[in-house]
Amino acid sequence: MSSRKTISRLAALGSLSTAVILAATACGAGGPATSGGAASSSINVLVEAGGHAELQPIADQCKKDTGVNVNFVELPYDGLFNRLSSEFSSGTVSFDVAALDSVWLPSFKDALQPIDELFTDEAKKDIFPSLVKEANVDGHFIGMPAWTNAEIVLYRKDLFEDAKNKADFKAKYGYDLAAPKTWQQYQDISAFFTKDGMYGTDVKGGVETEYLAHVLQAGSPMVLDSKNNVVVDNAAHKQALDFYTSLVKDAPAGAAQVDWAAAQNLFNQGKTAMTQFWAHAYRQIPKDSPVYGKVGTAPMIGGSAGVAGVPGPWYLSVPKATKNTDAAKKFVKCAFDHNDLAIQSSLGLAARVSAFQKYQDQPGYESFKPLIETLNAPATATRPATAKWQQIVDTVLVPMLQKAVAGGDSATLLADAKSKIQALLK
Amino acid sequence: MSTAQTPDDGGMLAAAVPNRPRQAGIAYSNAPAPHQTESTMPSRTAPAPQTTTEPASAGGGRRRRGVNREGLEAGKRSTRTILWVLLAAALVLYGFPFLYLLFTSFKTPIDTIAVPPTILPKEWTLDNYINALGRNGVPASFINSIQTAVISTLLSLVLAVPAAYGITRYKTASGRVFIMAALVTRMVPPVAIGIPLASMMASVGLADTPIALSIAHTTISLPLSIWLMSSFFEAVPQDLEEAATVDGCSRLGALWRVVIPVVSGGIAVTAIFAFLASWNEFLFALLMTAVRSQTTPVVIANFQTQFGLDWGSMTALAAVYSIPVILLTLLLQRKIVAGMTLGAVKG
Repeated sequence: MSSRKTISRLAALGSLSTAVILAATACGAGGPATSGGAASSSINVLVEAGGHAELQPIADQCKKDTGVNVNFVELPYDGLFNRLSSEFSSGTVSFDVAALDSVWLPSFKDALQPIDELFTDEAKKDIFPSLVKEANVDGHFIGMPAWTNAEIVLYRKDLFEDAKNKADFKAKYGYDLAAPKTWQQYQDISAFFTKDGMYGTDVKGGVETEYLAHVLQAGSPMVLDSKNNVVVDNAAHKQALDFYTSLVKDAPAGAAQVDWAAAQNLFNQGKTAMTQFWAHAYRQIPKDSPVYGKVGTAPMIGGSAGVAGVPGPWYLSVPKATKNTDAAKKFVKCAFDHNDLAIQSSLGLAARVSAFQKYQDQPGYESFKPLIETLNAPATATRPATAKWQQIVDTVLVPMLQKAVAGGDSATLLADAKSKIQALLK
Repeated sequence: MSTAQTPDDGGMLAAAVPNRPRQAGIAYSNAPAPHQTESTMPSRTAPAPQTTTEPASAGGGRRRRGVNREGLEAGKRSTRTILWVLLAAALVLYGFPFLYLLFTSFKTPIDTIAVPPTILPKEWTLDNYINALGRNGVPASFINSIQTAVISTLLSLVLAVPAAYGITRYKTASGRVFIMAALVTRMVPPVAIGIPLASMMASVGLADTPIALSIAHTTISLPLSIWLMSSFFEAVPQDLEEAATVDGCSRLGALWRVVIPVVSGGIAVTAIFAFLASWNEFLFALLMTAVRSQTTPVVIANFQTQFGLDWGSMTALAAVYSIPVILLTLLLQRKIVAGMTLGAVKG
């Protein structure tokens, strides 16, 4: 009897739940319908979770200016790429605008609408040159920069300004202790601070961008030249790799596994005296960190070709499959017009030169001058425009770096990398 | 085994009472129950020589019996100790990650990324919970997760119960093929069916709805549900149904009135598995949801961004998200245990 009662109760409960749920299921709990229906003044913007914070103040302003209401769809980085791939390949999209990582533009170029009309001469003057070049794929602009980033040098101002450290450093190396500008200075300072449980810097074996910046600093295009020849085994790549691995002795153990998160943690914990890191990290140092308020910023270091960095921009793009093209383009234009609003977000990045310049002298934005200098440096360049780039990074460059920081022979590793990249590009 | 070689009291008493009928497997191989000893007492007075030898043998028997009991109890104790150690190890293995997650959710930002990591927070804070629960879209994602999991569980049960019943009761070749074929969806990597499923749902106008995600989740839980329910139905004697049909029940009536109440524990177990499969699923949710139906696992993953990883908020939301499942498991605990042991006495 009790079992039957239980079943009856469960059945009743189930029926009730089903009715409620199915009634609610008509639209879900999140909000309005997705793209694909008739055109409307409400658009869906697909964005990586971190980018949402950047775009929210802009979306609020654009609603006032244009009447376009923006719903954000946040996804984690890897998931965003998978989602874009699946929706573009199916021809049905659930969004009207997507924020794309720069390395994805070549992969998705056929699914994106040209937005040439938004790239006026005035607009182009206010965008970093490397970004203007990158946004143009096969003769058409397919993405408007929403925010950009680049590595700069973050260093422990308190240690660098310490009188004893200054005197000891000058006595040992013959020049004043200051933020490093060259490879040699970076090596010297790293060695100097590696003592008493502290390290001069980190070495990131799990990510490739910093090594590629050194390649640019050594005067070579990264991995592919302008004719798409693989140049990963040239002298500049070897110099860059040798410099990269020369820092391992002054970095915490386990360099092969160190990625951005690990390097940021080490610096914020006060374990490293310097790091080359994305500029946004300066404003993200936790208030309870032992290094909070003690960090200085400098442009990326320079090699024989001078200062250089690899920009990390994200672009707003409009898919061909959207039914809301007009509203989508209105938002993209509005986002560019109000680009400086993104700086007030917790991440504090923008894409326009004028937006960075507006804030560069304000307290709390000390990272902007070094960032502008790095992004404007002649040797700074974006990553090669190939749809295979992510594959090259994941299957060739990162494994090569991990072997190199573990003591592998640089010339052999680069030669091996060349043949693998050539095979991927065939 | 001969009585002479039997070391226990039962053997001794059997030898002393030749006419006593042997009961295979009871008196000669195990220590007798008290009533057996009492029943042999009147015959003990008969042969004197045996009586004279009795104290020694009995003493020896008692000694041996004492040794055996102690040995047996020592053995039991050591087995119990080993089991406790294994249980503690399993508890640490499964419980520690959750405890670590829970402690991390109360840490300050710098504490969450401490090098080397610490287990307990240096300073306890609720900021991570405030931040996580105050984030835009979190309450909606909870509702979406509940909707999706409940619909998926109901769908799984509605389809799995009759399927499993039919397969186990009729035992046809096509049933055997069907139950094996049901596993095929489990053999294919989810990402391989996720993208086509997402396209199919979009083409029938179900894009970004909990019902679409529920259907996708049912593809994961249904094969497991059919297999689980089949094993539970197998454990129910067919005589029960036959008795019900003799009493006037139809086949379906017997299923509804007799069989299903018997396997209700099994249904609870299956429901829990189906619910959990949907509740924690990430990949399909990632591919198929957007503004309207995004579930909490995707929102939790969004705390890892290109700009960093917000460990504190991520662990806080994960801890909150675990609560409904823990409550559900506790509520259905008795049913689950009953379901787990349903087939244990089969045969």
